[in-house]
Parts: sequence; C-alpha cells; structure tokens
Amino acid sequence: MDRETLRRLELLNQLKLTEDEKQDVLSFFELREGEHKCLEAIDTENTERMVHVLPVMTVVREDKVVKTFEREDLQRQAPETDEGYWCVPKVME
Amino acid sequence: MNYETVIGLEVHVELATNSKIFCSCSAHSFGTDPNEHVCPACCGMPGMLPVVNKRVVDFGMKAGMMLNCDINRVTTFDKKSYYYPDLPAAYQTTQWFAPVAVNGLVEIETSKGKKGVRIKQIHMEEDAGKLVHDIREDTTHVDFNRTSVPLIEIVSQPDLSSAEEVEAYLERLKTLLRYAKVAECEMAHGTMRCDVNLSVRPEGSDKLGVRAEMKNMNSIEAIKRAIEYETARHIDAIENGTEVLRQETRRWDDIKGKSYAMRTKETAGDYRYFPDPNVMPVVIDDEWFDSVKDSLPEFPEVKREKYISLGLSEYDATRLADSIAIAECFEDAFKVCNNAKEAANWVISDVTRVLNAKGMTYEQLTLSGKALGELINLVLDSKVSRANAKKILDALFEDESLDPVKYAEENDLVMSNDTGLVDKVIAEVIASDPKAVADFKGGKEKAIMALFGKCMKQLKGNVDPQTLRTMLIEAINKL
Amino acid sequence: MYTLKLETAAKARVVADDMILTKGVATAAGSKMLQGFESLFSSEALTRLENAGYGLCGKSRVGEFALDLMGETAFDGALVVDGVLKNGAAEVLSAKEADVALCLDVNGSCRRAAAQSGLISIKPTYGTVSRYGTVPVACSGETVSLMADSVEAVKKALAVVVGHDDKDGTSQSEALCDSVLKNDGTVKRVAVLKNMLVSIDADVKANIESAIEDLKKNGIEVEEIEGGNIAAAKVAWNILMCAEMCNNVSRYDGVKYGHRAQEFSNLDELYMNSRTEGFGSFLKTAIIFGSETLSTDNYMKVYDKALRTRRIIVDEFNKLFGEFDAVLMPAVSKSAYTVKDIENDKFMAFNENFYTAPASISGLPAVVSGGVQLVGKAFSENKLLTVAKLLAKEGK
Repeated sequence: MDRETLRRLELLNQLKLTEDEKQDVLSFFELREGEHKCLEAIDTENTERMVHVLPVMTVVREDKVVKTFEREDLQRQAPETDEGYWCVPKVME
Repeated sequence: MNYETVIGLEVHVELATNSKIFCSCSAHSFGTDPNEHVCPACCGMPGMLPVVNKRVVDFGMKAGMMLNCDINRVTTFDKKSYYYPDLPAAYQTTQWFAPVAVNGLVEIETSKGKKGVRIKQIHMEEDAGKLVHDIREDTTHVDFNRTSVPLIEIVSQPDLSSAEEVEAYLERLKTLLRYAKVAECEMAHGTMRCDVNLSVRPEGSDKLGVRAEMKNMNSIEAIKRAIEYETARHIDAIENGTEVLRQETRRWDDIKGKSYAMRTKETAGDYRYFPDPNVMPVVIDDEWFDSVKDSLPEFPEVKREKYISLGLSEYDATRLADSIAIAECFEDAFKVCNNAKEAANWVISDVTRVLNAKGMTYEQLTLSGKALGELINLVLDSKVSRANAKKILDALFEDESLDPVKYAEENDLVMSNDTGLVDKVIAEVIASDPKAVADFKGGKEKAIMALFGKCMKQLKGNVDPQTLRTMLIEAINKL
Repeated sequence: MYTLKLETAAKARVVADDMILTKGVATAAGSKMLQGFESLFSSEALTRLENAGYGLCGKSRVGEFALDLMGETAFDGALVVDGVLKNGAAEVLSAKEADVALCLDVNGSCRRAAAQSGLISIKPTYGTVSRYGTVPVACSGETVSLMADSVEAVKKALAVVVGHDDKDGTSQSEALCDSVLKNDGTVKRVAVLKNMLVSIDADVKANIESAIEDLKKNGIEVEEIEGGNIAAAKVAWNILMCAEMCNNVSRYDGVKYGHRAQEFSNLDELYMNSRTEGFGSFLKTAIIFGSETLSTDNYMKVYDKALRTRRIIVDEFNKLFGEFDAVLMPAVSKSAYTVKDIENDKFMAFNENFYTAPASISGLPAVVSGGVQLVGKAFSENKLLTVAKLLAKEGK
C-alpha cells in the first residue's frame, strides 16, 4: 500500500481522507498484510471457494408483480426530488 | 495494403418478464410515470434482499439454447461496483464467474454466403435506471423504473468483419429471441441495445489491432454507419498516421456522422466483481432443464421447409418464417382453413397491408390466426365476397375478440343466395340507366362497369362478382 | 444505551439494536450517514416477535454498521460507564428494561457484550432467522441474534424468530429451520481448542476453567485439542467482512436518502463530500481495505484465498463435530474494554474478533454463557442451549 494506491482508492470509494486517516489506513494495511501471510501458509490448492456457508438450494420466486410501496413514501426522506424524480447535479454524458 | 475489420458485439436484451429480476416491482417501465415501479430494493434502500425471478432464469436458458450454447447447470450471480446516479445501490448484480450460457454459435447469411458467429457467453443481469437531462438546466433527474428490469447480455467472439455481417447477426438474434418469446428486441424502445468493439488489422494478420468500443448504439442503421466510419478512421490512422489509436470508449454521434473519444474517469473499469452472498447459486436440475428445452419453438428454417412442403413458394415460405408472429398467424389460419396458399396470401398481402397502414410491426400483431382462418373459410365457401372479407379483416384488427361469422351476419356482409333479389336489383338498375344499356349493346364493353357497380352497391357487395356479371349480361341480352 | 426509548404495554419487551430496521422508527446503524433514517418496513424477526406478543421498548446503540469492538465508533460517541465501553443492548437488559434483545451480529460485538455483561446470547445457524429488514454489512456471515439474561428468555424468543422466509434468498427450508428447535439437545463431549486460548487475561481464563469444571461436573467429557486452521478465521473474515461492507455501504451517497453534504458543485463532489462527512474514520479505513481486497491484483491472492480458507475452516469444524457436540472457546480476550484500550489501538475490533470470527465466517451457531463461547454444528442450537444452561450464572 502506497500513497498513490491510496489516492486511487479514495477516488474509487468517493472518500476524501484527512492526513490522520491516511496514516491510519497505511498502518492498518501494514497489519493486515502481515496477517495475510498466515493465509498464504494454508494450502488451499485443492479447495473450492466457499461463498455460501450452507448447503446450496435454489430459491426462486414466481414472476408475479406486487406493488408494495408508494413513490411518495420512498421519496419522503430524499434530500432533493422534483416531479417524482430524485435529483442530482447535472451529469454530462 | 488490404485491411480487415474485426468486430465483436455485446448485445443487451431486456427480457419480457412481468416483474423485475430481484424484486416484485413491475418490469414494464416504458411510458410510465417516473419512479412508480420502485420499491426500497430497487431504489437502494437497506434491508430488502434479492430473490431471483424464476422466469428470468427460464428465459436466460431459453436464449442460450436458441443460440446453441452450453447451459451452466449451476449458475451464479456477482456484484459489480461503480458509482453512477442510475445505479441506486452503487452495484449491479450480474454474472461474472458462471454465466447461464456459454460457447454458442449463431449462423448468419450475407451476400458472401453463410458464416458462423461464436457466442462467448450469455449472462443475466439487472438494468440500470434512466437519467433525464432536459427538465432543468442544472439538474439531472433520476428515474428508477427501469432499475432491476432483467436483461441478458449476449457477448460474441470477434467473429464479425463488416457492417453487413453485423446487421445480419443482429437480425438473426432478433428473430431467434422473438421465436423463443423471451424479448421484444426493439432497438427503438431500448429493449435491445448494442456495444460494438472494433479493431482493424492487415488482412491475414493474426494480431488484433487497437480496439475502440462504442457503447449503447440504438439503431442498426447507426451501427452500420459507425462501423464504416470507424473502419475508415482506423485505416487512415494506420496508413497515414493521422492519429495515434488508443484503446478507448467512443461515442457515436449519428447526426454528425462522427465518433468521439469519451472522457473517462481514472477509476473507470475498476468494478471489483465478487460473488453475491445474498443470491444462492441457481441449480438447474434435469427436470427444470428439460422443461425449458421442451418449450423451445421450431427454428425458422424448420418452419420454412415445412411451409415449402405445403406447396408455398420459397419466397413466401421465407417471408412467413422470418417473424414468429406472422408464422404463428399463418399456421393458426391454416389449421382452420386447410388451404396453405390462401392463408399465406392473406397473411402476406392483406394482413401486411393493414399493419403497414397502422404503422405496426409484425411483432405487434395481435390478430388471431384462428379468426383469420374462419374468415378465409367464409370466402372459400362463397359466403362472403373478397371485398367484404377485407372489411371484416379491418374490424378484426380493431377488436381481436370478434367472431368473423357473427360479425358478417350482424353487419349484413353475407352473400345473398337469393337469386330472386339479384334479379330484382338487376332489373331496377337496367331500367334506371337505359343509356348504359344501349352503349353496351352498341359494343362499348366498358359500359357494363357502371351497371355492375350500381348493382354491387345495392346488394352491399354480398354477391359473387363473377355470378353478378354473368347474370347482368344475360339480363341485358334478354332485353 | 438507547438511540430511542419507546413505551410498550406488552408483557414481553424486546429492544432492537440500531441495525434492525423498524418501520417508522429511526434506524441509523450508528452512522451519521443514516441519522434519522426511517425504514418503510420492519425486520422480519422483529415482526415475528411483535406478532407473538412482544412489544418494542426501544432501539439500542451500536457502533457504525456494527463493525467495531463495543460501540466506540457510533457517530454520537461511545457508551462509557466508569471508563469501560458498554454495549447498548446489554445495558438495557442489565437494567431489566427489556426481556430480550434483537441484534445483528456482524463482527461479534453482541457476543462480546454478553460475555462481559454476564448475559446469554445466541447467534443461530446462518439462514435460520431471516435477515430481511436488517442493515446489510457482511451478508455472507452476519446473523440476527438474541441476547437476554436467561437461557429461557433466549430460547423463547428463538422459537419465535426461527423460520423460513421467502423474502430472504438465503433462508433455509422450513424443515431445516424447524430442526433447530427439535434436534436432540444431549451433550456428551466438548472440545476445547488450545490455539483459541491465546492472549486471554486471567478473568477470561478463569471463566474457561470454571466452564470446563462445570461441564465435567455434569458428566460431559472435555478434551483439549489443537484448533488447526480455525484460528485463521479472523484474518479471512476481516477480508470478507470489509469487502462486503465496502460494497454494501456504497449505496449511501447522499442522493436517495440519508446525509447529503451542503457544499458541492458537481455530482462527484456530492458523492465524495456526503460520504466523507457521513462516515467515521474507522469505517473509512475498513472501506478502503475492503475495496483493495477486491482489486484485480488482489482478488485471487486475497479475496478468493479468504473464500477458500472459509471452506477449510468449515471442513475442520465439521470434522470436529464428528467427535464432539460443541467447541468451547473464549468470546473475548478480557473481561472489560476500557477507553484506554481503544486509544491505544483504535482497530482493536479487527484483532479481538479472533474469538468471534470462527462462528461468523462459518455461519455456525454460537452461544455465549458464563462468559465463554460455544460453537456447535449447524442446526444444533438445542445442544448449545443445554450447555448454556449449565454454564449460566443463574443455574448455579
């Protein structure tokens, strides 16, 4: 982890860190990267990755429309809405 | 030096399901008020969990089978992260590691003959919302109706080499997906969208050139123009050094007929894919697989051969088989009237005429083939004149539930078997226009048309024209 | 201890922590980003409790997105009593103001709280309690959990909240959920993992020893064995948890709801300023870390490695459960966390979860009782509750 990577990660995650926070991150990474060595020691060559911890079973739903919520309620807590839309500063496409 | 263009396509197709892919909101966003088909899940609020819509998997599999793909019997969903206002959760759930279908092949035909285009994969994913830029000058308005509407993305190998091939490929995809009834595939509606990856290299070279990507193309004509423009731009750059080619995303301006490099963020493309812990792998067992396989339609080629064996010309057979809506209308009509040529003629000329007049496409056809068959029977049995049958066809377009037989009776469109009535009308018409009668007798054959027309009008068209003509001539000759 | 105290006339009172969404009652998940956020629906687990006659008596404080040690990262400050960090739900229970607490166990803070407050907690088998209506953080392992001052109270609430839910795609079948309440509760052998006993202070050590004594007294065989790779759970869980968290909190951007910065002149500034103001330092660090584990360069080396390690851990646990009914380990390294501890190491949560991560990463059920933790086979809650009863202070 270096300053340049950190700058990129800030951008990627839409965050702006203070100098103190940057120091935190750098030392945090140092600790974690040290720990990752202990993972490297584990032989996982013939082990499948495990995303879901329990026996896989497919859960699907029928293709049925259910209207549960009103727009008015969904937008009640919005910082800015207009004519039923959420609003953001002008996006150039 | 000669060059070849190497093109691969990523085609997004909106699936024609009722509800969205992971929540139960309506998937029909076209022409709806903004944010009416939205719930906490598809506007990015915390707490709701995705539950996969079974029909999306059905359709994904079906599309895969139509394009000769292998189906992944365990298919999984992954998260793709990026910030954009049309993506409310800041991630899109898609398939990165185990897409529903892989390794397909689509055969296309162009002026150069037949060719196979390999399909790398088909994956299922959720659509993004819509941004509206023209309501206020300083603001972009965000509509999540389309968010989480199911899509498949069909990724081809770079096997295409011209605008003509691209067009043939897209048309073939449309035909096959419409046959399977999984999607509308209407570029004008945004239910089919296309990213074009293009590079140019010296003919015979096995090294790929620098790739340009053009995103979200929304008409075949624009795609063709863009391909021609890009090909020329690349060749110019290679031969004359007019510019240094970069791997980049470009925007096609169809009005100016030019492409422009898009400004991209430093972090663009860093999507941090990882398996979605909230969506269990979808395991497609034999029963599920077979039920989808059994629901596949006949391929267009099979239908075409079948139609030819019914005695239709190759041209007519091809026209009918080109569109599933037309093919089915024909088949249903044929089932009822058992006269392939009549049914084909009605579909190809009369049905098409009405569609054209209404500005509708074949896919929008809702006419019942069964009703058309019944109408054809009325004509074949000399119960309704052809002219009146066309009127009934117009009425059938207005109201699909109409029964042609009943409609004919109720609207006085049934041919008269009452020769007494015809004789009476002929006598009246002859008496009313002695000049025309005299002209005809004097050798002016055309004079009969006026008399014929008057009779037809009085009989409201409910007489066989040939019979009327014969009876009319006989009556005059008897004078 | 509360973020909001509510009145209830119900005989059985439930306090929900600030990760549990409650319709019309604010849920901030300890974050300024969600200050005042009102969900349009309630968590399934809470709804089930309310339908069974429980009344919501308040929302209790948590650290930002329940990721921390003991609530120290809550946007409006830690809950500190005499220099000691306290968990909101545990305090409400200790004050006898609620009969049971409903918590989201993301990184073990409620298990730590139960261990240090002499309470009983159960983190049921992953998928047996619906996560519908909880603030998502580390979805592959987080579990709706219960805490109370007696095994009976925990058991009673567990019977209500366990069950299949169509609204949660990771919810187990009704039959498997049912088995949680029906499976045999007999316990004959318990394993103690030696390599999970490291770095514990004298109090915790004493708790473990007394637990072993209690078990033996009740005719249960206790065997000390090596823990193998189970001790690697922390490292793997930190990777998975931070990556999933990073992805889950990316939805908070100041557009749809939640905190929006006052100052911005374009979209990126709106995002960046809102998130920079809305999130605390601890969370930001974890976001950056989680994000990096998923980068193209690191994915296979770090994230995928953690997923494979998860399977190794689950396999090792299951091998143990061939011989043993449960595995005994600490839930904490010490009997109390002081403000000073956090000042010395603000990221202590990512070390202290050494004890809680094995059950988190594997989705296995865990109880805390008598200040120690027992991890059991999937769906073996009844066995764990049997042991919890033996170890509970109330039982002595």
